[in-house]
Amino acid sequence: MTGGPAPQGHKADGREDGRDAVGRDAGPTPRRDRLIGLFLLALLLFNPPLLRLFGGDGAMFGLPPLCAHILFVWAAVIAAAALLAERRG
Amino acid sequence: MAWTSVLFVSLAYLGALFAIAHWADRRAAAGRSVIASPTVYALSLGVYCTTWTFYGSVGRAAGLGVGFLPIYLGPTLLMLLAPLLLRKMLRIAKTQRITSIADFLASRYGRSPLLGGLVALTAVVGVTPYIALQLKAVAVSFDALTGNMGSVTGTDRLLFLDNGFLIAAIMALFAILFGTRQIDAAEHHPGMVAAVAFESLVKLVAFLAVGGFVVWGLHDGPGALFDAARARPDLHRLFAVDTAVEGGAWTTSLILAAAAVLCLPRQFQVTVIENTDERHLNRALWLFPLYLLLINLFVLPVAAAGLLRFGASLDPDLFVLALPLASGADGLALLVFLGGLSAAAGMIVVESVALSTMVCNDLVIPLLLRLRPAALERAADLSPLLLAIRRGAIAVILLLGYLYFRLAGSAYALVSIGLISFAAVAQFAPALIGGLYWTGATRRGALAGVAGGTLVWAYTLLLPSFARSGWLPVSFIEAGPWGVAALRPYALFGLEGFDPLTHALFWSALVNFGLWLGLSLFDHADAAERAQAAAFVEVFERTDAADAPTDGRGVVRVGDLSRLLARYLGPQRAARAFAGDDPDALAGPKRLRLAERLLAGAIGGASARVALASATPGGAVGTAELLRMLDETSHALAHSRALEIKTAELERATDALRAANERLTTLDRLKDEFLSTVTHELRTPLTSIRALSEILHDDPGIEEDQRRAFLAIIIAESERLTRLINEVLDMAKIEAGAMDWAIESLDPARALEQAAAATAGLFQERGVRLDSALPADLPPVRADHDRLVQVVVNLLSNAAKFTPPGGRVTLAAEPGNGAVRISVTDTGPGIAPEHHDAVFDRFRQVGDPMTDKPAGTGLGLAICKGIVEHLGGRIGVDSRPGAGACFWFTLPLLHGPSPGDLSSHR
Repeated sequence: MTGGPAPQGHKADGREDGRDAVGRDAGPTPRRDRLIGLFLLALLLFNPPLLRLFGGDGAMFGLPPLCAHILFVWAAVIAAAALLAERRG
Repeated sequence: MAWTSVLFVSLAYLGALFAIAHWADRRAAAGRSVIASPTVYALSLGVYCTTWTFYGSVGRAAGLGVGFLPIYLGPTLLMLLAPLLLRKMLRIAKTQRITSIADFLASRYGRSPLLGGLVALTAVVGVTPYIALQLKAVAVSFDALTGNMGSVTGTDRLLFLDNGFLIAAIMALFAILFGTRQIDAAEHHPGMVAAVAFESLVKLVAFLAVGGFVVWGLHDGPGALFDAARARPDLHRLFAVDTAVEGGAWTTSLILAAAAVLCLPRQFQVTVIENTDERHLNRALWLFPLYLLLINLFVLPVAAAGLLRFGASLDPDLFVLALPLASGADGLALLVFLGGLSAAAGMIVVESVALSTMVCNDLVIPLLLRLRPAALERAADLSPLLLAIRRGAIAVILLLGYLYFRLAGSAYALVSIGLISFAAVAQFAPALIGGLYWTGATRRGALAGVAGGTLVWAYTLLLPSFARSGWLPVSFIEAGPWGVAALRPYALFGLEGFDPLTHALFWSALVNFGLWLGLSLFDHADAAERAQAAAFVEVFERTDAADAPTDGRGVVRVGDLSRLLARYLGPQRAARAFAGDDPDALAGPKRLRLAERLLAGAIGGASARVALASATPGGAVGTAELLRMLDETSHALAHSRALEIKTAELERATDALRAANERLTTLDRLKDEFLSTVTHELRTPLTSIRALSEILHDDPGIEEDQRRAFLAIIIAESERLTRLINEVLDMAKIEAGAMDWAIESLDPARALEQAAAATAGLFQERGVRLDSALPADLPPVRADHDRLVQVVVNLLSNAAKFTPPGGRVTLAAEPGNGAVRISVTDTGPGIAPEHHDAVFDRFRQVGDPMTDKPAGTGLGLAICKGIVEHLGGRIGVDSRPGAGACFWFTLPLLHGPSPGDLSSHR
């Protein structure tokens, strides 16, 4: 009933086989994929079916709702793109 | 304002632009180019915003509300695809030495001069009126500023001395000076780009200034302004969704703008040709959309304020200028005028340089090569001719723009030209984008697609705009040509209910995409075209294209090639290209490709091919042989590329196999070692049981005491055997997940005391002291009592075994961090840090098998680890050699987080 520690012996490696050479120069893929995801999201938010949700009268932050929606989404998309694009690595 | 002072300020401003361009060129020559900056690159993309944005957006907003925005949302969306799309275009343009979008398409589709010419022609026809629009905007704003509000052109002055002509002339001079410096059109134009980036800043500042003035100077902030507008029923359309999206206009403009930002000659010029570093895209992909957002921020407020102030009495395109003028802010009005001038100047210069490159490389040179090859051959140095053609083309394009402006004036054809131009260049998009990803797209498909799409565009947009300007009978629109209703240009084949632009986009896209796709699917491209297609689609997998195979054959001498290069590029570059080569040697495929690449940078890929062919001395036979060699080279490159990919794949597979094999070998060795250990452990008790039993069996006269002692040993050894076998079974069960668990709330102290009691005998036997440090009030934990005892007993007996007599072992427990931490500390020899993980591996005995006798099966700690992790805890060891070891594990508290969150499987 043991399993004893002893001062010296084999090395305990053998776990480094998980890393495989990735296809060369395909670009930083996660970043590219996230930007494409952002593109699809922006495409949805900038187009008619959703735009009609903001067609009412009244004001958001003093602006017409449609105008406020577009400006807000636009700024958010740009901020997200900047975060994704300028992050190192 | 006096027109002389406005003129003076304008000229001073344009002079400053010349100075900036000159300075940037000088810096670039000194190796410190200002355009090697991502921010300058992003700003230069702002050439997208012409006077059509600067003055026209407000006009569109006055009619459509937020309906003007898709023109800027489209580019925003497209820039998000930059890593996918633009990066690839940049890489291709760099490797192929592309000079324009016409050259890009021609090179992609088998270096087709026909396609290049078609694209160049479409671009000139579609975009020249757009230049006219810029001239008109400058002229009108000039008149407005000098007090001739409402008069459309300065017709009171001499025909060729109005300010439209002046602007056109100055812009031509600028474009010629800074856009046609070198013969290599694939090179950058730092002066031009720097000036354009500066202009982008000026027009942004001007628009923000006028916007702030209108919103906070003339009204009390946006809220008050929009409240005032909302109070007017006739302005409700500004805020309604229907105004913006009616008839599909919204989505159509979005698509057209996204295509235009890719295909407009000036955008292609600044985005692709003038790019110095692919990484600049990372900045541009958000900074350019941010620029668009900022310059459009005040468009709707200015439109609303203008409508409130002037109503329908003034062209809304002039609101930007008229609002500050009417409020007496003359300085601001002058700044606005300079902003508009910047917008016009940037567009005119870049567009005319881009168009002139196309006209020269894809229209004039191919025609000259075909019609007057002998004349070209006689000339020793053609570079002055090439530059003259480009400069002439700039002058002609701007003159055409000016004439169009004079003739069309305020006609509908000019006013609406912005989106009509977008629709024209959008015809390049299917062949351009499709050609980047699909090798199967062929030359005939692209030719038919672009030609068909352009014809439909002309029929459904251009001709009706002529009709609306009065140059064609209006019945052409209303009743169709010759009264055929099915051919009405705004309702082709009876398709009604869309706005004209959406209608035109639908039909032209259908014809364009359909022909491109259909013909490509049923077409067979020749080897050269396929190789060229692969060079585009697989640009990221390709190695340097220059290492073409060399062979001894050849039809052209190096001297001939050198003379040909000298003719187009000038003698210095030719001498550099073939420095050290024997002029009488035959030029093999490698040198041919080098020459082709260099020529492509100057006169475009398609013309380069024809020029090379014309240089062959051997007449038709020699020409055919030379073209065959060039194609073979491309073919061989494609082949060697395919081989390279296969080799790389093979290598990767081999590596994976080797790694798997090594792992299997290790596992196999471990298994062997384990088996021999287990066998050894099993054999020792078996041997003693057997020996003692034999003695008892063979010697009936053995004494009673002796017999009892022997039987006691037999029983003890059997027990040891049973334990060993149980342990192997336990391990197998844990591995297979088939262990029976009785997990419940329990007091850890009781289990620890039980374990200590069970191993007390062992400690006594070894002469080691066992101390317990168990607090009285340990919280209950979730665990299986028997398994917990098993773990602690295992750790304690290990400690007893490895601690020399006279040593000390401490069993401790303490609550903390949602768990109870139990530790067994000994004063034994300790474990080197590199083995800390390994001791818990199954089958793994830390110790040199040659010198150390294994002290167990190698399963005890692996079983402990399996049990602890199943219970949701962690196990580990802290130790240094010579300083004892502390084995510890944790058990989650009954009321702590669920076990799944705590377990940390490696």
